[in-house]
Amino acid sequence: MERLRTEPRPDWREHVERDLGFVFHTIDDAPYWDETACYRFSESEVDTIEDATGELEQMCLALVDRVVASGEEAYERLRIPRSAWAAIESSWKVGEKNLYGRFDLSYDGSGPPRLLEYNADTPTALFEAAVVQWDWLEAFRPEADQFNSIHERLIEAWRNFGIGRRRLYFSSVKGHVEDAGTVEYLRDTAVQAGLTTDRIDVEDIGWDGRRFVDLENRPIDVLFKLYPWEWLVGEPFGEHLLTGVAKVIEPAWKMVLSNKASLALLWEMAPGHPNLLETSLEPERVPGRVVRKPIYSREGANVSLLQEGRVIAETSGDYGAEGFVYQSYAPLPAFDGNFPVIGSWVIASQPAGMGIREDSTAITRDTSRFVPHFFG
Amino acid sequence: MTALMKKSRSIRLVLLGSAGITLAACGDDGPPQDAQFYSSVADCAAVYDTATCESVKAEAEQKFAEEAPKFTRKEECEAEFGPGNCETQQASSGGSIFMPMLMGYMMGSMLSGGNRFAQPVYRGANGSAVMPNGGKFFNVGSFGGTGAGAANSFRPAAQVSQVSRGGFGQSARAYRTTSGG
Repeated sequence: MERLRTEPRPDWREHVERDLGFVFHTIDDAPYWDETACYRFSESEVDTIEDATGELEQMCLALVDRVVASGEEAYERLRIPRSAWAAIESSWKVGEKNLYGRFDLSYDGSGPPRLLEYNADTPTALFEAAVVQWDWLEAFRPEADQFNSIHERLIEAWRNFGIGRRRLYFSSVKGHVEDAGTVEYLRDTAVQAGLTTDRIDVEDIGWDGRRFVDLENRPIDVLFKLYPWEWLVGEPFGEHLLTGVAKVIEPAWKMVLSNKASLALLWEMAPGHPNLLETSLEPERVPGRVVRKPIYSREGANVSLLQEGRVIAETSGDYGAEGFVYQSYAPLPAFDGNFPVIGSWVIASQPAGMGIREDSTAITRDTSRFVPHFFG
Repeated sequence: MTALMKKSRSIRLVLLGSAGITLAACGDDGPPQDAQFYSSVADCAAVYDTATCESVKAEAEQKFAEEAPKFTRKEECEAEFGPGNCETQQASSGGSIFMPMLMGYMMGSMLSGGNRFAQPVYRGANGSAVMPNGGKFFNVGSFGGTGAGAANSFRPAAQVSQVSRGGFGQSARAYRTTSGG
């Protein structure tokens, strides 16, 4: 694994906007898509990441099974509200399919990749990984390979989803260009799988007393939402959604995995697993330097680095009300002063590819840059 | 070797990177609750007086001429509004332009700037009835047939009655961050 400096394509901005529809390549005047560098992996390094990803996904599915079987006690440790328990259990027991997830891994090319966290419900940075970096490879080094069949696997996953002729609604919050871009990309793959699709903002979803409806009052039977389950269940229409009146993607059982308390439960289930970092719901259980993360948080907000209980670094944010998990500190590798996190994707629970986000600090935030990769 | 590769063999996008007319949500600039579709003065005169109907029709026709999308090629127009739904008009420059078909107008009693609400309605793709207002396009109903004769087959979009909205999305406003992670 090495970081290479590369010459950006002179017209890359115009190209990715015009030909790919990639509009959020620059965020708050700072480059987000960054092709001044790339990461080169060996084939065996990619195999290591792929195998670890497959194993982590299987462990996560096993954890959902354990949580559903143990019921109340496990849900409470995960801070999942009681109102959601039945929906989680029924979605799991009937085998509702899931589309995708992104494991964030710390890996430097030696030793096992370590799971920092699992974005099981609303992962983003998908379009960049699936399309933009693939397109970059075609221009930069077409003979090389890339761990990235995300696009093909998404189309295949939609074909197997069991949606049939029902209209599939894609939703995200109003006025958020990155979320809208991610959702529009997913819709693109669904259309290519032959599905009938539509768009609606989550704020515009209506409830007519019996079912969810769109702005023309047509029923919404199947809803993809790039909006966290833990937010949905706490909002006024949450109780309707939990009745199962609409099929929701991701399914309700992803609530078990989308909060960081699940990292502690994973460690309890498989203590000492080489791809896991020791994690606990209690601060004093994890020795040495510890990273404290809110049970519910996004984009690296409210993360603190603790040394014997003392905060030595932290990020700001609005999260943490539900409590924290404490994870053994695994410093991210540094490449020329950059700290890469590997976002390793599963599509329909199969390893599908990766995207790398770099930050100039050791806590990856939403200010990080997406840097492409290749191998071989 | 290609068969063993871990990268996608090819990538095609069908929605992204292309621009089209996006239908706006009802709400701002949407038709008022009491607005109805009328295809002709006679149709309108069953409800309002003839003079009002004539003035509203003239107003809608003028707005249509000024504001309706105009295309230099018929195929471009039909790509937006559907096959058979575009008419040739004489451009002021002398050439031909293509525009969607004016089917009638939405008229309501709600006053806006001292006037009755009146907006042209033309035929969109898949039989939809499209009403422009404030730079946005609204789907106000549908037509049962094709061509200008279908104006009599207008069906309004389902009325907003018992539906409540805004039951999702509050958390996103409470947190100063994105939904994705």
